Amino acid sequence: MKRNFKAHWVAPTLREFKRRKVIEEDRSGGPKIFHRSTFLEWNYDAEIFAFSNRLGEKFDDSSLRAALTHKSYIEREKARLSDIGLDSNLHFQDNEALSQKGGEMMSKFINGYLRAVFTQVPEELISAMHDFLTSNSTLETVAKHIGLGDLMLCADFPCKTETYVKSFKAIIAALAESSGEERARIFVQDLVVTQLYGQDVNELWNPVDPVGNLAAILKREGKAEPEFRLIRQAGSNSILAVYYVGVYSDKHFISEGAGESLEIAKEMAAREALKKFFHTEDSMRALPFGRQLKNIQSKIEQLENQPNLPFSEWISEKVMSAVH
Amino acid sequence: MSNSHLFLPSGFLRTPLQNGLGRYIPQLQRITLKFCKNHGGSRGVRDFIESDLMEFAKTNPGTVVYLKPRRHRSPCMVAEYLNGEREYLSCHEFSRDEVHKWLSYMCTRSGIPVMRFRKYQHTDYPTVQGVWNPFTHQAPEINVAEFPHGVLSKPIDHGQTATEQLIEIFKKTQIEDPVNKPSN
Repeated sequence: MKRNFKAHWVAPTLREFKRRKVIEEDRSGGPKIFHRSTFLEWNYDAEIFAFSNRLGEKFDDSSLRAALTHKSYIEREKARLSDIGLDSNLHFQDNEALSQKGGEMMSKFINGYLRAVFTQVPEELISAMHDFLTSNSTLETVAKHIGLGDLMLCADFPCKTETYVKSFKAIIAALAESSGEERARIFVQDLVVTQLYGQDVNELWNPVDPVGNLAAILKREGKAEPEFRLIRQAGSNSILAVYYVGVYSDKHFISEGAGESLEIAKEMAAREALKKFFHTEDSMRALPFGRQLKNIQSKIEQLENQPNLPFSEWISEKVMSAVH
Repeated sequence: MSNSHLFLPSGFLRTPLQNGLGRYIPQLQRITLKFCKNHGGSRGVRDFIESDLMEFAKTNPGTVVYLKPRRHRSPCMVAEYLNGEREYLSCHEFSRDEVHKWLSYMCTRSGIPVMRFRKYQHTDYPTVQGVWNPFTHQAPEINVAEFPHGVLSKPIDHGQTATEQLIEIFKKTQIEDPVNKPSN
């Protein structure tokens, strides 16, 4: 007999099982999913121990457990116990306060990093990058990939985005309580800020009216007003026309931009000039992460409460030179 | 020569959550070792559990190890990763060293499914100086040039043709006309 021999009735039986399963899943709206804690092999204490070791951090046990407990879970447990008739004075602490504190700390740390790395950038771009890093989708991805999905105690399953985000922020606050603000800062830099890698920062924020703003900046600096000259062109009578426009100030070349029409090319040239001023061109220096931040941690801490210049007042003399 | 006949999916190198950029997080979340306490096929797994498992658990504190003794079942290990993927491996009739080897293999993987790497490097920033376009390194004089142009229409490194070289040689060797020479 062949190794993969099966009796004649096996295949039809399995086919029928599959058919019934598909009907049942369609009726109930999706395949059945089970929380990992419903498995026989589950040890919450061991999972929490592994969680802190995985991240390389030391947590206070009570802070960590509080950070992972949600109000909905406590309410559900209280209701369940009172239904049975037991006295429901549970000693659980929820993560509302921790999450609030953690959210503020995370914003502070992110702003500190951005202002220390992007010293020449206006505050509008800093806040655009900060909003991207603290958006729900980014934080949910980070929280899921740390392993919070199985550890959180919450009433909703599959867990909602807000639950993940709340837990993650509470974890940051718990870490600051347990190991100090320094460790929490490094934690945020290692996990949240690294999500900026590979993201084009110029897609996050675009200055409105780049031509007018460029003229304003040059005027503030006391330089000649920008002159736009056509540098290259090809195919002007066709659909695939391309125009290269260069920006000159007092006959000094600043930047060039390309576009399908003269107006587009002019705007792109002004945008490139602004990118050059802010040091956010495509060829800008690589962002520092991890150990490369060791020397500028004090600078980051200093700049957490010091916003950059707003776009309307931007002038190159007032911004610091690059730190890293 | 081609890879289209392979059912193995292909892709580029990637890592979950920019792992390693900030800090390295071991991606193995938990591992479940299922074995039989009596059957001979689980002998290697039982020997591994008795001798090497504690050391493994100490060196990988970020991984939860679950042991599941199940009678009359062949041994297996199920690895669960932080991105939700699961890896099943049957350990039937493995030796103790083989179990150790496969366990350390599971440790070093991220949960991304096994695939054929199209390239062994990856970058999100392929160009620093900018991608070449036909206008790169072009002389600005072409903007106001009337073609055919004396210099720009010709190849850059033309050099003298044989005819022009002969004309030059002829001019050098020509005897000067005594009529045109100023009389001393």
